[in-house]
Amino acid sequence: MPAPTKSEILQGTLDLMVLNTLTSMGSLHGYGIARRIEQVSEQALQINQGTIYASLVRLLHRGWITAVWGVSENNRKARYYSITKSGRKQLQAEAQNWQRISSVIGRVLGAAARS
Amino acid sequence: MFATFKALGSRIRTAVSPRQVDQDFHAELDAHLDLLTHENVRRGMTPENARRAARIRLGGVTQLSETNRELRGLPLLETLAQDLRFAVRMLRKNFGFTAVAVLTLALGVGANTAIFSVVYATLLKPLPYSHSEQLYNVFQQTKEGANTGWSYANFEDLRRQSNVFTELAAVQAHQLTLTGHGEPFVVNTSVATAQIFSLFQVHSVVGRTFYPEDGKPGAAPVVVLSENLWRGAFGGDPKIIGTSINLDKQAFTVIGVAPSAFRFPQIAQADQIWIPLPADPLFGPWIPRRGGHWLQVIGRLKPEIPLPQIQANLDAVTAQLAVQFPVENSGWQARVAPLQGVIVGNVRPALLVLLGAVGLVLLIACANIANLLLARATSRAREIAVRATLGAVRARIVRQLLSETAVLGLLGGIAGIALAYGGVGSLAAILPANIPQFNPIRVDYFVLAFALLLSLLASAGFGLAPALFAAKSDLQSSLREGGGRAGESGRSLRVRNILAAGEMALAMVLLVAAGLLLRSFNKLLDVNPGFNVQQMVKAEVALPRTQYSTPQRWLGFSDELLARLHAEPGFRQSAVCIPAPLADGRVNLAFTIVGGPPLSDAESRTANYVSVSQEYFRVMGIPLLSGRAFDQRDAMSSPPVALVSKALAGIYFRDQDPIGREISFGFPPNPPVARQIIGIVGDVRDTSLGANPSPMMYVPYAQAPFPGAVIVAKSAVGMPGFSSAIRRTIRSLDKDLPVTDIAEMTQIVDASVSQERFRTGLLALFAVMALVLAATGIFGVISYSVSRRTNEIGIRVALGASRPQILAMVLRETLTLAAIGLAFGIPASLAAARLLGHMLFGISASDPATLAAVALCLAAVAIAAGYIPARRAIRIDPLVALRHE
Repeated sequence: MPAPTKSEILQGTLDLMVLNTLTSMGSLHGYGIARRIEQVSEQALQINQGTIYASLVRLLHRGWITAVWGVSENNRKARYYSITKSGRKQLQAEAQNWQRISSVIGRVLGAAARS
Repeated sequence: MFATFKALGSRIRTAVSPRQVDQDFHAELDAHLDLLTHENVRRGMTPENARRAARIRLGGVTQLSETNRELRGLPLLETLAQDLRFAVRMLRKNFGFTAVAVLTLALGVGANTAIFSVVYATLLKPLPYSHSEQLYNVFQQTKEGANTGWSYANFEDLRRQSNVFTELAAVQAHQLTLTGHGEPFVVNTSVATAQIFSLFQVHSVVGRTFYPEDGKPGAAPVVVLSENLWRGAFGGDPKIIGTSINLDKQAFTVIGVAPSAFRFPQIAQADQIWIPLPADPLFGPWIPRRGGHWLQVIGRLKPEIPLPQIQANLDAVTAQLAVQFPVENSGWQARVAPLQGVIVGNVRPALLVLLGAVGLVLLIACANIANLLLARATSRAREIAVRATLGAVRARIVRQLLSETAVLGLLGGIAGIALAYGGVGSLAAILPANIPQFNPIRVDYFVLAFALLLSLLASAGFGLAPALFAAKSDLQSSLREGGGRAGESGRSLRVRNILAAGEMALAMVLLVAAGLLLRSFNKLLDVNPGFNVQQMVKAEVALPRTQYSTPQRWLGFSDELLARLHAEPGFRQSAVCIPAPLADGRVNLAFTIVGGPPLSDAESRTANYVSVSQEYFRVMGIPLLSGRAFDQRDAMSSPPVALVSKALAGIYFRDQDPIGREISFGFPPNPPVARQIIGIVGDVRDTSLGANPSPMMYVPYAQAPFPGAVIVAKSAVGMPGFSSAIRRTIRSLDKDLPVTDIAEMTQIVDASVSQERFRTGLLALFAVMALVLAATGIFGVISYSVSRRTNEIGIRVALGASRPQILAMVLRETLTLAAIGLAFGIPASLAAARLLGHMLFGISASDPATLAAVALCLAAVAIAAGYIPARRAIRIDPLVALRHE
């Protein structure tokens, strides 16, 4: 397997955050997801909100989320996304993977700091 | 899994209806913008500012849609659809170009498909029998290596002693007269051993096929009908089973009907019957004799036995036969060959040559289209440069140009297939009888797939070069130069010249081949067959043996027939013979010279045997060279006599005088009889016009009568008169006798060269196609060159060049192309002509006259093709030309 490029990692991170958001919030439209991510990442993640849609299409294609048309708070036609069973499974796997990598990075960084 | 399908579904939906998906996405973004704006307003912004901030926060809508589209759809599929739509638009815009290209390709593909359908049905598609690859012909081979058949006794020993076959059967074919069902008629009769149906694993449609007991000598005569005959002559009545029909006045019980697909050994005959060998009035009596090689033996090999083991087994059988029956079998070998190869063997070379020729036509067509495309790619250089400047990558441009040629190829292919559908029908109709049609010749799925593949391959061939050239073209110069003559690189021009010269060379190969075949064919038609052809008519009558049981009766019939015919005003010049030259097969018999030197093991003396009435030589115009012809003295009871042909005398008597000598031979099943040679007659070409005259030996019909004969007559009355006279005369003798094979001798000669005519005609047609295509190619290149040089020519004229000088300049360019084409064409033609080899008659493969004529013809056509643009060149007005661009 080729090494993931930088953008792939970033995309992966965003996808993971979307999945995570949908797990905790249930069904949500694109704007809601973007808002939520901004809140939890405390604006640290500077994104165009539109970027979220690329992530949503990728997740839809993989079957990890589903979308239905609904009506938004301000009475506009909007698509509501929710996570699927396989999405949850994927999130779990990815989360473990992420934690492992984070801990590795943490250890390496810690070791570097100690030396 | 399901999710994958769903995703794919949504992707395809995107590709199919991109608009709907785009609209949905826009609606989604709109909602998003609204919510953002709303929030910004809540935070205290003015509505305008809120809206603008929201837009910035969301990102560019166009860019987002683009990303979205790419992510959702199948980009390749979508751009392909785009390319194809564009290609169709471009092709429609250039209708003239499209029409010429499609027509050119259609001709190439159509001709190839039609010929391939014949090749496929005869050479490639297996015989329509179960596991036909296991079916082999088993030959007995003479000392000289000629393959012949088997005697029944030898066949039985082969069957008993060989262990490499699961089944073996032996067959012969002739005709019997069926009476008792309306008008008497002749049926194609296949005489076979009882295993014939089990060998081919054929099951009856109605009733049964042969049981082993049916083939035993003395068994009750039975017959199996072909489905066609059963439906045609007997109305498809299943009650026919168990009843009896009369064949040569002998009763045969109908036991079953064989399916219409089974036609063996008479592959061309839809109407035929099968009877067991012992019941046959003609061949039945031959069963006890071990000599003679008259049965075709077919065997089904056990699977996966290596060829050496098969040959070893056959060698063991023939060695045993040679020990047990040395007179008949010493020196004879046995060989096997795949049945299909045996059936199609003699047409294979001609068909392959035709396939090669038609392949060359396609190649020329492709070169032509490539040339057109190159010219167009040059004039489109600007368009392509603009695309490249706007950011199209090279691969994308190549892909778009290839899509155009693919559409072109597909259109040409479809038109070609339509042509082939029509062509195959007429091709099957003019197919000579000796091309076996055991599989129907038609455009089936396989042939269709071949045609499509061919047109796609062709379009890839003619499309790739222009596409690559176009993509490589220099952007800057293309943009800088004007539209019309923009950016033709020297390289592309060179390629176009090479293509045109190559077309000339290929056309030359075809023209030389066609020329050689045409001249051969003319020489063949000019050959003197050695007997009269003009005003000659012939007919055949066969006598049922049950009624005409003795040689005396056969002779009596023919004497009476001739007497009555001679009494008719138009038929004083008539005779009987068997077999007739060119019309019937030959009867090649071994003979010995009484008192001659003994033969070594590797030698044999054979000659073709004909039994003729005394008028025969006079009627046929065969000259008596020395001695005397047959006359009344040579009656049945007189001393046996024979006439020999000049060839026989030359080959077997060399410098001796054969007259007065005796030769001994006999027509099976009769034993050999010594006959005195009383004269020498002129040679005739009895097997084919192209073959050297065979040594012939003639015997008086009175001393060697047959239960039937061929009537030949020299008459100015013509066909209808002869036909009715012969029918009337024979009916007056016996109302139950059918007259068959009524024909003029000229028809017989024509039919004998049908295969030569077929291949010569088709090759000539392909050569003409090639010539026309090559001429168009030259025309295209020269006209393009003239239009490119309009400016230059204008300057030349302005500086004082005369019209003849301009004309000469353009024609020189044409002739250079033609000369290059010929320089490559001549050696290629010589090489290709050698492949024609034995198809040539009376002419050498490197015939200089043909080569010169073709070269001249090509040069003339090239000049004619170049002359039209040359005339345009001399009409160029320097004022207009200088302002050009």
